[in-house]
Amino acid sequence: MESQRLEISRLFARFNFGPTPGQFSQALQEGFKSTAAKILNTSEPDPRLGALPTPALVDTGPRPSPADKTASKLFSQNLKAQSDELTMWWLDRMAIAKNPLIERMVWFWHGHWATSLDKVNFSLPMFKQNETLRRNALGNFRTMSHEMFHDGALQIWLDGNDNIKGAPNENLSREFMELFTLGVNMYSEDDVKAIARAFTGYQTVRTSGVVTFNPKRHDSEPIKVFGVNSPLDGDSATDLILSKSECADFISDRLWYRFISSSLPKDVKIGAAQAFSQREVAPVISALVLNGALSDPRYSVVRQPVEWFIAVCRAFSLQPSMLSNRNFILGALQKMAQLPFYPPNVGGWPTDEAWLSSASAQFRISFATGLSKQIDFTALAAIAPEQRITYIKDLLGILDFSPRTFTALTNAKTDLPQFFTLAVCSPEFVVNA
Amino acid sequence: MDTISRRKFLQLTGAATVGAGAAMLSIGDIAEAAITRPLPMGTPIVVLVTLYGGNDGLNTVVPYTDSLYYSLRPGISYKPESVLQLSDGLGLNPAMTGIKSLWDQKKVAIIRGVGYPYPDHSHFSSMAIWQTGSPISHVSSGWLGRWLDTQSRDPMLAISLGSVPPPLFAGVKNVGSALPLGGLVIPNGKLGMRCQTLGKPATNDSRLMAAAAQSISNLFSVSDNVTDVLKGPAPVATDLPVINGGNAGGDSNLQQQLDLVAKLIVAGAPTRAWSVSLGGFDTHANEADAQSALLGSVSQSITRFLSSLKSSGRASDVTVVVYSEFGRRVKANASDGTDHGTSGPVFVIGDRINGGMYGDQPSLSKLVDGDLAVTTDFRDIYASVLQNDLKADPAQILNGWKGRVNLLYKQ
Repeated sequence: MESQRLEISRLFARFNFGPTPGQFSQALQEGFKSTAAKILNTSEPDPRLGALPTPALVDTGPRPSPADKTASKLFSQNLKAQSDELTMWWLDRMAIAKNPLIERMVWFWHGHWATSLDKVNFSLPMFKQNETLRRNALGNFRTMSHEMFHDGALQIWLDGNDNIKGAPNENLSREFMELFTLGVNMYSEDDVKAIARAFTGYQTVRTSGVVTFNPKRHDSEPIKVFGVNSPLDGDSATDLILSKSECADFISDRLWYRFISSSLPKDVKIGAAQAFSQREVAPVISALVLNGALSDPRYSVVRQPVEWFIAVCRAFSLQPSMLSNRNFILGALQKMAQLPFYPPNVGGWPTDEAWLSSASAQFRISFATGLSKQIDFTALAAIAPEQRITYIKDLLGILDFSPRTFTALTNAKTDLPQFFTLAVCSPEFVVNA
Repeated sequence: MDTISRRKFLQLTGAATVGAGAAMLSIGDIAEAAITRPLPMGTPIVVLVTLYGGNDGLNTVVPYTDSLYYSLRPGISYKPESVLQLSDGLGLNPAMTGIKSLWDQKKVAIIRGVGYPYPDHSHFSSMAIWQTGSPISHVSSGWLGRWLDTQSRDPMLAISLGSVPPPLFAGVKNVGSALPLGGLVIPNGKLGMRCQTLGKPATNDSRLMAAAAQSISNLFSVSDNVTDVLKGPAPVATDLPVINGGNAGGDSNLQQQLDLVAKLIVAGAPTRAWSVSLGGFDTHANEADAQSALLGSVSQSITRFLSSLKSSGRASDVTVVVYSEFGRRVKANASDGTDHGTSGPVFVIGDRINGGMYGDQPSLSKLVDGDLAVTTDFRDIYASVLQNDLKADPAQILNGWKGRVNLLYKQ
């Protein structure tokens, strides 16, 4: 029983952000296998997501001259409004999706191909990238890599416009292999220089993210790399890179690292790398869910701030954009150092202990306190006070509370906002056992 | 904090009603620490400044008499008359006037050609090596985290600015605290008491749950120590020109971090190691203006920081170490930027430092695959800091490392 509770707790926390009301108890009755099968099936239509309006982002055109102060100010306000709208839209999708596995995967890929608005500046290319990640979230990684190579936001982020025949800029070449496809040191320094030449000649319009190929800026000489010596462009170079066996180890390692354990190495018995032999993502996720990793008690993870917030939203039926107000939500996430579309660098966000500083504890408590003022506690109030700890444990999908948390919650059982704040800030919720 | 505010502090926090868990400092202990356990005057303090992104060393400490420097990077080189000339044919980036004046006072050591064996051009591998202090075998603890492990647990001992702590402060047993720029505000009243209950250790805690509980208990202990201090004004740098009511120096994020560190050092925080950082050094394109603005901020912030400590009597206790994960490629790329390189200079600054040049300047005529050679192992600097500032045995923390930067510190 305990083992099944652990598996189901992890299944919801890691592959679905967290359970919605009643979902966890139902899963306990139906069992792990049946619940896992439901979550892994992403073909069901989702009317709520379908009804959510797509952000109305338009190409802003270039920035006005700084001399025109009024126009510049309006322009900056517009950029800010667009990025806020984009972020709230994505948070909404995570929170209201019936089965958010796809959104959870987009969240993974966003941290993988980590691109930041901080340099990209314009929301339209970031939105397009987000849709590319969604289209390929559980699909073929080769297809995703090709589309990401041609992604305007990524090209801007890694100086693709500056990568020109005769004087290559290595930024995209290096990170493409190191962080996106093969892993560090799975290529030589000469390979970085060679692939940079293959990647020359792609030009991106910053405001729209439209990428075009300019043969005049492309190095069309033969390039010697990974066993070939022939002219290469972005697509043929991507194919060469993706066919290397290191790609399967690397991508399955990254999925393991984010979904199972950031501190313990991948267990080969789970078969994640083999599942990626055809570069299909869905079989790896199935292997991680079904092949025993979720029942191994060693593999706990810390919920990242966005994951923590979305889990709270799902448990209490909150839709982020309906909360008051947008600045409070985005400000709180920023203080917790995790604002979607603003990863700290091209390596994505950190894991585990990085989210357990005294500062993050403070911001988590203050965010939860703010949320507690907006939550409808009618359902919780209807539960007898002595039953409330058991109730919220299932509502949040927690394995178990420690005696210290039990004491704190018992003391607060009649003060519902405080009871909520303590439960969602407890070590047993912040860390998924 | 004086004794009056201590009494008020005890009343405000309801110290009498708070029980202490085994590994959690009680409020009373903490008040004692802040007042009766201030860092003794004369105790060395280390401030690490991490420059994220890979700072271009050749345009920081410029070899302006070397014709190869001009022929290898024509678009982004500094002319001899523009650099701030030091010695040995080297000059500082024109934006670093503050550091230049500290150099003239013989407080700046520039250690040249610093790196690690088998240089790696990845930001992440390289920064991991710098922060763990372990270039060959992979370890998950940071070099100062391992120093924290040799000390009794004290959340005030090592503090980083910002809400995500850097790996360098993560030990196996102990970990440094993180302090956001806005300071820490603890919940008060019943919620505060109940949150403190959440911070207690539990017997069945996994490693991560224990860390989650400790982060809550640290929040209370650290915030109690610093909240009053943070409300006060930053100490004033009396010997710097004042412009528009503020010190000349801009208000960069690094400046804000160092202002906060200055406040806490002046207040007597029992903190031996501080970590601050500045990002943006990954200058693949249009490097000159961007790097110059960043280096200007580094230079002004550090100058103002050291100056603001003078009236406290602790200025001479502080050593500032400035490093980045790697230098950049010697040859510029077509975007007037530079790609990832290898070695770079490290600055060690303070009253207790013998100012001057250390290590060999990597030769521009003997590049290794287009990159500068490594002439000084970074662990030599760590070992010197551990020995002189933290009074620790470097071999114990750096896996038997014996090297030092000789004569770096005044004896």
